[in-house]
Amino acid sequence: MLESLLEFLIQGVVLGGLYALFAVGLSLIFGVLDVINVAHGEFFAIGGYMAFTAVVLLHLPGAVGIVGAAVGTFLLGLCVYPLLIAPLKRHLGGRPQGPLYLVLTLGLSTFLQSSLLAIAGGDYLRVPPQVTGILDLGVTAVSFQRLLVLGVAAVLLTALFLFLRFHPEGLAVRAVSQNPDAAQAMGINLPRVFAFTLALGVALAGVGGALMAPLFNVYPAVGFPLTIKAFAITILGGMGNPAGALVASFLVSIAESLSVMVIPSQWQNLIAFAVMIVMLLIRPRGLFGRAVSR
Amino acid sequence: MTRVRPLPLAVAAGAALLPVLLPHPFVLTIATQAAIWALLAASWDLLSGYTGQISFGHAGFFALGAYAAAAATKHADVSPWLGLLVGAAIATAVGLLTGFPALRLRGHYLALVTLGLAEIIRLVAQNWLALTGGPFGIHDFRSFPGLPAAAMAHRQAMYGVVVVIVTVSIAAMYLLCERTNAGKAFRAIREDEVLAQTLGINTTRYKLLAFAVSSGFAGLAGGLYAYYVQLVSPTVASAATTSLVIGMAVFGGLGTLWGPVLGALLLYGLYEGLRFVGVVYNLVAVGLVIMVFVIYFPRGLAGIRRSA
Repeated sequence: MLESLLEFLIQGVVLGGLYALFAVGLSLIFGVLDVINVAHGEFFAIGGYMAFTAVVLLHLPGAVGIVGAAVGTFLLGLCVYPLLIAPLKRHLGGRPQGPLYLVLTLGLSTFLQSSLLAIAGGDYLRVPPQVTGILDLGVTAVSFQRLLVLGVAAVLLTALFLFLRFHPEGLAVRAVSQNPDAAQAMGINLPRVFAFTLALGVALAGVGGALMAPLFNVYPAVGFPLTIKAFAITILGGMGNPAGALVASFLVSIAESLSVMVIPSQWQNLIAFAVMIVMLLIRPRGLFGRAVSR
Repeated sequence: MTRVRPLPLAVAAGAALLPVLLPHPFVLTIATQAAIWALLAASWDLLSGYTGQISFGHAGFFALGAYAAAAATKHADVSPWLGLLVGAAIATAVGLLTGFPALRLRGHYLALVTLGLAEIIRLVAQNWLALTGGPFGIHDFRSFPGLPAAAMAHRQAMYGVVVVIVTVSIAAMYLLCERTNAGKAFRAIREDEVLAQTLGINTTRYKLLAFAVSSGFAGLAGGLYAYYVQLVSPTVASAATTSLVIGMAVFGGLGTLWGPVLGALLLYGLYEGLRFVGVVYNLVAVGLVIMVFVIYFPRGLAGIRRSA
């Protein structure tokens, strides 16, 4: 009993690394742009396809695939603000946004996902692991690939939080997240921060996609279920609060892993949504969120 | 308000004469399904366009209606006519239940909760094997009794049944939104909920009403879909369904009811028509249409017509 508890706990922590890479970026984007990026999972998928292209098609080392996915999704992400969100913002002027940004990123999601389907086809593509081997922990064994996901997530997220805390650009991002008007008055270039934050957020998902490609396989819709789950995680952590999303990622992943001991495994995907709905009923601002007035 | 509108009349006349003018199986199949989508898009518009309560979960209500109808007929041999009502009733009940938490949630949060709800419905559909047949769905159940057996006549009759039910439903929603105080209350809630409350509008009651009516008609559309397609599988509840519906509504113009209906007919036509070009390009086009319309014509086709 204790051994299996420990085993599921470890598996949960490893899965949490992936959720965190994904949800922290989503939460960061929401905090700064006030836009929920429904297309987040498609950048995860694109990261996977980039890893596939680098490793399988071009026979480059696995690390190149990861870096390529990061750079590629970052550059793609840079285009999203100026091409899609800024024009809508201009068009709206001061009128209420209603569902329009959500619908816009929903359209982007459909567009990207079906474009991937048109370009690469619907096959499940296999990508060889970037590292091979298994770490034997006694109670359970964890593949090095899963540890790599956790390790890269830890490094990138630490770097991100240090960046937001100390780097001038990071400070600008946080300033815009707190009060866009005041930030602009202090001479911060809002469109630049918006474009940069969006690119940063989706690049985290892109790296996640490249790292998970050997474990999940790659297909056009691979990221979408993660997007939906990440919504639940960001609500749990408080929307627009990247640190809250980080904690919530591990809470959800561990709850999911442990749930296998109590309920059949095919139901474990329900947990995140059940938690989300309960959370919204009891405490809509999330565990660590700011007061909700939107 | 009472002047004769040429466009709706032309659409109605075209719809009524279609099975006679173009008695082709493919055309009738597309037209019947487009009508079902039109009902779903209109039901979404009542809640999200008129009342401003953004639902990302209409695939869930649609699937509830479809599954409830199909399961009732398959397992309990309920008449399909009654099955439609069963589907609508169950969707209404769940919609009302969703409405309660929604009273405290706005904008983004509501969208995400309803998305989560649809995902829960999809997962239940996929895993509750005894009732839903799991990933394979429910099939081999009977459709509306009393329709002619010959292939072509059957299609024509089916088209007639679907179009009549859809038209009556949309007309009912239109009357509710445009001719009653409830419709005014819906719009007041959308524009400024606090102000609406201050003016003495019982926002709780009208939001719940919008949820119940909208999910009920979405469930009815689901029931029609089940009896028409004769297969209900978990993909019905997928976010792609919601995505297509919202795309149709935005394309047509939010908060007009007839806009989403027109949007559904045109976009579904485009979606199916592009199958000839390539099976995947239709969704690429849907994504593009959604993005372009949101950015440049946020009021959809209805808005273009209004400003012209």
